[in-house]
Amino acid sequence: MPQGIVTANDMLWDRQIYDRDGVEVGKVDDIEVTIPDDGGAPTLTALLCGPTALGPRLGGRFGAWWTAIGQRLRPGDELYPVRVTADMIVTFDRHEVRLNVTAAELPTNRLRAWTRQYIIGRIPGSR
Amino acid sequence: MRGALKITLGIMTAIGGFVDIGDIVTASLTGARFGMTLAWAVVLATAIMVLYGEMAGRVAAVSKRAMFDVVRERLGVRFAMVNLGANALLSLLTLAAEIGGVALVLHLVTGIHYLIWVPVVGLGVWLTIWRLPFQALETVFGLLGLCLLVFAAALVLLPTDWGSLWHEAIHPSVPAGEALPTWLFYAISLIGACLVPYQVIFFSSGGREEKWSVKDMKDARLNAVVGFPLGMVLSLSIMAAMVPVLRPDSVDVRHLGQVTLPIAQALGVLGLILTFIGFFACVFAAATESALSIGYSVAQYFGWTWGKRHKPSAAPRFHVVCLSSVIAATGFMLTSVDPITVTIITVVLAAAAIPLTYLPLLVVANDREYMGRYVNKHWQNGLATIALLVMVVVSLATPPLLFATKAGQ
Repeated sequence: MPQGIVTANDMLWDRQIYDRDGVEVGKVDDIEVTIPDDGGAPTLTALLCGPTALGPRLGGRFGAWWTAIGQRLRPGDELYPVRVTADMIVTFDRHEVRLNVTAAELPTNRLRAWTRQYIIGRIPGSR
Repeated sequence: MRGALKITLGIMTAIGGFVDIGDIVTASLTGARFGMTLAWAVVLATAIMVLYGEMAGRVAAVSKRAMFDVVRERLGVRFAMVNLGANALLSLLTLAAEIGGVALVLHLVTGIHYLIWVPVVGLGVWLTIWRLPFQALETVFGLLGLCLLVFAAALVLLPTDWGSLWHEAIHPSVPAGEALPTWLFYAISLIGACLVPYQVIFFSSGGREEKWSVKDMKDARLNAVVGFPLGMVLSLSIMAAMVPVLRPDSVDVRHLGQVTLPIAQALGVLGLILTFIGFFACVFAAATESALSIGYSVAQYFGWTWGKRHKPSAAPRFHVVCLSSVIAATGFMLTSVDPITVTIITVVLAAAAIPLTYLPLLVVANDREYMGRYVNKHWQNGLATIALLVMVVVSLATPPLLFATKAGQ
């Protein structure tokens, strides 16, 4: 690869995602790139989050195992990872991605909401 | 006074991270068996800790990122995952050893069997994580841990042969009747006890908890430069205090009570009370730190909200990880494994795992993209590279020494 060219992976993989209010949403576990029907340049259409996106990147048996766990945690054993679509992105640099929505509106919020509701929220003094 | 309060993170990390059950056990064991001939290991480890602790603080202040954020960004998901797994397991074992350690201290004070104290301590550690503000955690434990300066006071009152202590410390050699591998095994145990990886994770995450920025760099530096050497003074005085009392009878320290003998002899009940307070503060702080550092590292790897600056309901996954760690460690101690044995195994494993945590830090501290003009200076890189070589040697030497000496017997 010629020097000076930065790939989308280098730019985005593993960056921290924050919502509109600065709340942590997760990491960019993978990215979704779509080639338009008319055959134009590939465009970034979504950031992918969660174990089903991270698993394949971890690779090997451990990665497969990680993906399988993620799949079980997804509603209806859906294999495709949670998407944060490109139109939600406000800014990104090599350190972080900022979104124009709140974490609560995103499907990445499920584990957080579940642990809050069923474990942490039931212990006195959590608020 | 404000200046003094600013370095409490450093003091707490030093008190809880540096002087913890691992350090108390290894320092007293080696003091009683080898005199001051292994003091060099503590000094060497402290120098490394200052160097890398300063880097961790600087990275946290400048890049506004804690340890595992940058490890994953810079070194990739796979390496970071291996690193996370190894660190979390080691911190879990450390947490178990510290919980056992606090239970042993409470046993010495109350006479009630330590196993009864284990769940109580586990609950206390969790409650501290759950409710106590970070600042209070630092100040209370940092200051109470200073009670351990009684060991220095005891040295003055005991019939200490200062000349021979000093001579042994600056002319390290294997004492008569001891084998070289055993001596080296205890050297790496001391280094492992001083450089336990969770300290770096805790220090860098703590800097984020305190919202360090570039303007706080001086404080961050002061924290590392004052805090860790203070820890060194405490552990060297524990080591030295064993020499006049336990060494003449070549006592094999296998019990925390033996560590308090020099204090009892020199300072009586008041000294013992201070020692127990100091032990409790140090080891309890270490338990809290190791549990927090598991939560910190897992949450940072996955990009979850973390930290005590948020209410638990705002960082539920972080608190679930901390809570499960405390439960797992408490459960492990309740199987009645010997806390001192667990401690020794932990420091030895820590010695083997040191490069895993310290190498990424060195890489990041050299990255202009994160650090701008605050990247490492040439002399820092020179020293850090030498330090890293030392760590690699220690790490490679650990397994053969462990087996050759049957864990230092």
